Amino acid sequence: MHEISYQQAIIEAMVEEMRRDEAVVLMGEDVGTFGGLTGTTVGIIEEFGDTRVLEMPISECGFVGASVGAALKGVRPIVELGLADVSLVAMDQLVNSAAKMNYFHDGVASASAVYRLWSGFRPSGGAQMSQSNEAMFAHVPGLKVVMPSTPRDVKGLLKAAIRDDNPVIFFEPKGCYALLGEVPEDDEVIPLGQAQVKCSGADVSVIATGVMVGKALTVAKKLAAEGIEVEVVDPRTLRPLDTETLVASACKTGRVVLAQEASQFCGYCAEIAALLADQAFDSLKAPIKRVGGAETPVPLSPRMEPLVVPGEAAIEAAIHSVLG
Amino acid sequence: MARMSYAEALNEAHRIAMRDDPRVFTLGEDIGEYGGIYRVTKGLQAEFGEQRVLDTPISEIAITGAAVGAALVGSRPILEIGFVDFVGTCWDQVFNQAAKFRYMTDGRASVPLVIRMACGAGLGYGVHHSQSLEAWFTHVPGLKVVMPATPADAKGMLLAAIDDKDPVVFLEHKFLYEVKDEVPDGHYTVALGKARVAREGADVTIVSWSGAVPWALKAAEQAAAEGIECEVLDLRSLVPLDEDAIVASVEKTGRLIICHEACTTGGFGAEIVARVVARAFDFLDAEPRRVGAPDIPVPSSLALEAVYLGTRERLLEEVRAIVS
Amino acid sequence: MSLSPQDLKQLFRRLLLIRRFEEEAFRLAVAGKFANYHGGMGQEAIPVGACYGLKPTDNTMITHRGLGVLLTRGVPVGEIFAGLYAKESCPTRGRHPIFHMAAPELGILAGTTMVGSVIPLATGAALAARIQGKSDVTISFFGDGSVNRGDFHEGINLGAVRKLPIVYFCENNFYAKSMPLEASTAGGNIVSRAQGYGLPSEVVDGNDVVAVYEATQRAVARARAGDGPTFIECLTYRWTPHSTAGDREFSRTDEELAGWKAKCPVMRLRKQLIAAGHASAQELDAVDLDIQREVAEGVEFAEAAPYAAPGVALENVYL
Repeated sequence: MHEISYQQAIIEAMVEEMRRDEAVVLMGEDVGTFGGLTGTTVGIIEEFGDTRVLEMPISECGFVGASVGAALKGVRPIVELGLADVSLVAMDQLVNSAAKMNYFHDGVASASAVYRLWSGFRPSGGAQMSQSNEAMFAHVPGLKVVMPSTPRDVKGLLKAAIRDDNPVIFFEPKGCYALLGEVPEDDEVIPLGQAQVKCSGADVSVIATGVMVGKALTVAKKLAAEGIEVEVVDPRTLRPLDTETLVASACKTGRVVLAQEASQFCGYCAEIAALLADQAFDSLKAPIKRVGGAETPVPLSPRMEPLVVPGEAAIEAAIHSVLG
Repeated sequence: MARMSYAEALNEAHRIAMRDDPRVFTLGEDIGEYGGIYRVTKGLQAEFGEQRVLDTPISEIAITGAAVGAALVGSRPILEIGFVDFVGTCWDQVFNQAAKFRYMTDGRASVPLVIRMACGAGLGYGVHHSQSLEAWFTHVPGLKVVMPATPADAKGMLLAAIDDKDPVVFLEHKFLYEVKDEVPDGHYTVALGKARVAREGADVTIVSWSGAVPWALKAAEQAAAEGIECEVLDLRSLVPLDEDAIVASVEKTGRLIICHEACTTGGFGAEIVARVVARAFDFLDAEPRRVGAPDIPVPSSLALEAVYLGTRERLLEEVRAIVS
Repeated sequence: MSLSPQDLKQLFRRLLLIRRFEEEAFRLAVAGKFANYHGGMGQEAIPVGACYGLKPTDNTMITHRGLGVLLTRGVPVGEIFAGLYAKESCPTRGRHPIFHMAAPELGILAGTTMVGSVIPLATGAALAARIQGKSDVTISFFGDGSVNRGDFHEGINLGAVRKLPIVYFCENNFYAKSMPLEASTAGGNIVSRAQGYGLPSEVVDGNDVVAVYEATQRAVARARAGDGPTFIECLTYRWTPHSTAGDREFSRTDEELAGWKAKCPVMRLRKQLIAAGHASAQELDAVDLDIQREVAEGVEFAEAAPYAAPGVALENVYL
């Protein structure tokens, strides 16, 4: 174990996978000596050279399409798209090409690529640089969607994503980047599709994604002192979703709060709420409460952050509400 | 009143709006002399000329961007994109530009634009011409999403959408174009955000929209023969959502089924369940059920497409199950 | 690179196979046997000339009008008809239109229905060859309707700036569905766009199979030698409407069609073969009969083939 940041864990995962498998390449804008918009490609071109670290022009349709074509021929691209917002420019290639290749071709050809998206609020990012758009991708059969919340998870899940034969949309919330945590030095691969109970409790389940996981844990700690046991569950992968773990937690506590950074209406938590209402209905003792972003684009001013990004207070209020 | 098809009703709405308001114009691929894939713009170019009925190149980014730009300076464009599947190619213009200008400029700029798109399966058009993607749009603050199910609503809601000061995504199910019904004469509007009770009933609430409304009505009729009275709500628009109408119906029946054509996971049905569970929890006598497509792309062979559209047949079984 | 009389006869056979296939497919579609056929009749010289001489490891990515490429590269007629009927006995098993089937062993890569989106995909296949140190070449086919999409510009720029082993192959039939070229595409021609990206380029008579073959071979040799992409624009014309789904095309005139029919690529080579003494009319007629039998058998195969069991719809969403 060593303590590193979420950002460093991403670098480690990519470097280790590129050493392990020479089919793995890195593509994106400024991923060479610049080190990537996200600062996660630092030092990679120095080790692997410019045939495996491919700097791309600002042409997202072009190089996302090219990554799919290359994947069909056996290359395993890690595509750094930078801001999650930018994925929208290449939406057709992601949704109509990458997601559907395997289905068209009856398993003969598949787009085995990872698309890394830096998502969510950052101070002074504004409406077109701060979005959390995971729900759009999670609605698309053929894509897998991952959103890790800790350094250990991001390393293990990124390794699994790189090894997966399907296109994986990999969300890296900006709010997680500076988090520090213990990460194993050995080759830990965390399978896609496994949720994790981040802290166990009997009174209420908080199912949270991305930056909301850390906030939920802080609230859980605070409420423990007041005698309220909060269970925090992180789905980690949104598609395929570990329904079993979520339903088990909901059945255990009977009270559920869902938390996401994205704006609430039609966000991914709606899917979880609907699943739990269906599969844990008889165990529910209270309405399921959702905590999510405001129904607005994301404003520029850091001072407006509390207005649009839900914080610990919102989670705590929701917990009290479901406890009645 | 005149009896006409859904496509003819839309055509009439275009004519009325373009006669009444010189700011209204329409643009899209093959919409001129050709009259559009679904004949919705038939004869418009002959009446209004090439300056107001623009045939465009296959350049979705350019034509969507141009429509947004024209709306910004006071025009009232109606953009036709033949298949909602194509929106991935211009998603950035819809999501990052059209939807956000009012917010980003604090209301100094607005985008009174209607984007008409055909959606839905049933004609064997395959993976890239059959999708139902309304859940993408509904998650985007700043867009309104309209999905009328009848010719009269199609006309009245298109006229309301043209009058609206914000971007409206207007989704037309391909299967409805030939459906004929009575349509009021002249200019009238059907307000966005008001659901329609398509059939009254006391036992089960079925919420549906667009192409799924006829399925719901058919299942309701069959269920009635078995002594189960279904109330069928046609939402007509998803954003704004008539949540009060849904809650009122569920409070009456205690049972909720959401029937939509789109893939179930991450579909709009999830948002409705989440809202009903939060607001009408104590009224629910059974778990709310979502009846939507399996999580697959839309296959093109009619035999396989029938699997994707299995919702039609499954709905009656779900009605029986929820009351038992 | 020069073609022997034997080669020319092979080209003729392939041209005629596509023609007879196209005629039958169009007839069956109009008769309602299957939905919406996008015919390529009149454009046969392009798939034949471009693909004759490719190695099976070279890649092709095609458009919705590219069934000729599948036939030329060796997909059996029956499988393609089965695909049009959306039966199980075709490589997509009815999930997806046959023109975007994959047959990696024949160098046929997956396509996409989205006009022009194939250009970046094909560029990626060429990128893979570069990364993997292979000498395989990719041909990206697309129509004139694609050249106003962002994917065209982004894809070609990427291929050009990285000097990838790819041939950008525009089949210009002058109409994007109902839209005439001059109404949709600025600049008066397409090829000058490629010149803007610094690519060697040429405009070829797309109804002359030998000219298409020779131009493609020059481009493929350049790509294989590491000298980067070439842009080829082939001028041609489709004899049938955009599709059989009741498309009305007001700009296309009978005179225009008659002019292009006079330049029929099949008849042209037939006349050349006979005039040069490489084949007799009887010999070529025998080839025709043979091909007609092959096409008829293909239809029979497809008619008799089963539809996929419903469960097939649920498989292979993920690998």
